[in-house]
Amino acid sequence: MTDARLSDFPVDDLISREALADERGLGDVVRQVIFGRISTQVAFFVVVVFVVVAILAPWIAPYDPVRQSILQINKHPSWDHWLGTDQFGRDVLSRMIHGSRNSLIFGLLSPVFAAFFGTILGVSAGYFGGIVDRLISRIVDMLMAFPELLLAILIAAALGGSFWNIVVVLTVAFTPGFARVARASTLAVKQEPYVEAAVAAGVSTPLIIFRHIVPNIAAPIVVLMTLWSASSIRIEATLSFLGIGTQPPNPSWGNIIRDGLSNMFATQWPIVAGGLAITIVVLAISILGDSVRDVLDPETAR
Amino acid sequence: MSEALLDIKDLTIEFGSGSQPLRVVDNISFAVSLGETVGIVGESGSGKSMTALSVLRLVPEGARVSGQIIFEGRDLLKLPKREMPAIRGKEIGMIFQEPMSSLNPLMTIGDQIDEAIRLHEDIPAPERRKRVLALLRLVGMPDPENRLSAYPDQFSGGMRQRVMAAIAMACNPKLLIADEPTTALDVTIQAQVLAMMLDIRARFNSSILLITHDLGVVAEICERVVVMYAGRILEDADARSLFSNARHPYTQGLLRSVPTLNDTRKRLYQIPGSVPPAGTIKAGCPFRPRCSVRMERCAVEMPPLRTYDPGHRVACWATAEAAA
Repeated sequence: MTDARLSDFPVDDLISREALADERGLGDVVRQVIFGRISTQVAFFVVVVFVVVAILAPWIAPYDPVRQSILQINKHPSWDHWLGTDQFGRDVLSRMIHGSRNSLIFGLLSPVFAAFFGTILGVSAGYFGGIVDRLISRIVDMLMAFPELLLAILIAAALGGSFWNIVVVLTVAFTPGFARVARASTLAVKQEPYVEAAVAAGVSTPLIIFRHIVPNIAAPIVVLMTLWSASSIRIEATLSFLGIGTQPPNPSWGNIIRDGLSNMFATQWPIVAGGLAITIVVLAISILGDSVRDVLDPETAR
Repeated sequence: MSEALLDIKDLTIEFGSGSQPLRVVDNISFAVSLGETVGIVGESGSGKSMTALSVLRLVPEGARVSGQIIFEGRDLLKLPKREMPAIRGKEIGMIFQEPMSSLNPLMTIGDQIDEAIRLHEDIPAPERRKRVLALLRLVGMPDPENRLSAYPDQFSGGMRQRVMAAIAMACNPKLLIADEPTTALDVTIQAQVLAMMLDIRARFNSSILLITHDLGVVAEICERVVVMYAGRILEDADARSLFSNARHPYTQGLLRSVPTLNDTRKRLYQIPGSVPPAGTIKAGCPFRPRCSVRMERCAVEMPPLRTYDPGHRVACWATAEAAA
């Protein structure tokens, strides 16, 4: 036995064929998400349509969304104005199209920022532990004690409702959630033998964090990001509806509903259009988020 | 062979604080010479893994390590913390017990081996790739060119252990620490991994410190064996004399409990009792409660390691009395 050499063994048999078949790259994950269920396919299609519309807004909107016309007040839908006009004679469809920009940008931007900062905080807390962990965790707990909407209203009221202020508001509101998830995941991944093995191989702390920990906690963060995109759109609409989000005359779905509400006995179309758009997009993104979670989570993976 | 590459002196590892710390490794000393393969054998809780981890200063936080770990003339325990990464992987490589989870699931094996090289040596990418391929070939990976971009989950346990070995050997370390490298593997794969380790030793002329509870593994590849029990060394001998002439009652018991092919016994021999939990032995020999030849003195005083034949040390009062 002591004379055995590697060539004595049929090592090729050791590579598991089954495992080879089970390889899942990023492309496969994306494909699995999109082509999973019918509901997901529809949701994906809806989100794509809204994003394309938002990107192309200046070119496809039939009218200037802020141009008023005293002659065209409170029109019902017609071939000239598909969704009618509001109390200032502005074309509701054009406002909806331009408003989708504000709504979607908030929906996508804030969760991305929040994920970024939340991950930094959470990974630091989880990896270094001790005083760093206690400090970060207490701040996060403090922020979490406020409901997101309340926190958002608070900051928006203090800072005013400019574009970047709202992004900051939503980012601050969402960061604690990401920080918690990142911390918990880091604590779990830190215990993995491959992290210890990396330390034993002489890998420095920053490299351990960026190459061995962060990629391995990405799945829950991505899921959280998709799920909160929906919340983010909802909260932006709420803030705008309350008058502390996107400021008139700039359109957003929230303030289209707000304007429409005060005028709802003259024309109902702005409220219906705004409400439907928010409902459809939030629903579509939530369905997509659920799908992403199902695919990334091995417990529910089909 | 006589020059010590690694010389551990009076190593003690304790957990907890206050008046009664938990002592998991108690004042042990042994050495690993250049090119030598030393096995540390012991049951679970004997402190053998802690000993191995302490060499790389990887013991869990909160542990207090005292004594000396002299590697190439430097005391690793006294080195500043920031100098340790330069030693880990470069001077001392380590293979872990869990091949299934000791590789980052999101990095290709090519990248993981490459990382180990890049950390310690400044060589251009094409050169590194050649080295990675050579390492994979060395550890017996078939068709290495096509495996570079494979992920760990595409390999079986034995193959992952080979990748681990390739990482550990990436910078040609002088000492390879293998912490139960075969424990989690099938018996046939164990044989292959052991063959691989012999191969590594033959080509690199590295010293190997092998941690195991498997006497069969020790018999296969070790030149010298250190038997640990409850944090202490009970016997330290070259492999041949340990297997032919074990002197400590614990070692004798271990060897008697190994089944052989022409065994006529109805039941396998077992040492009565079990390993005492760490910290419960206050005085005397830790093996005394399970020992068949215990004496009164054993309860009072821990026997020192005494040299019998050259290179054969035993810590036992009964053995000492019999030899006298």
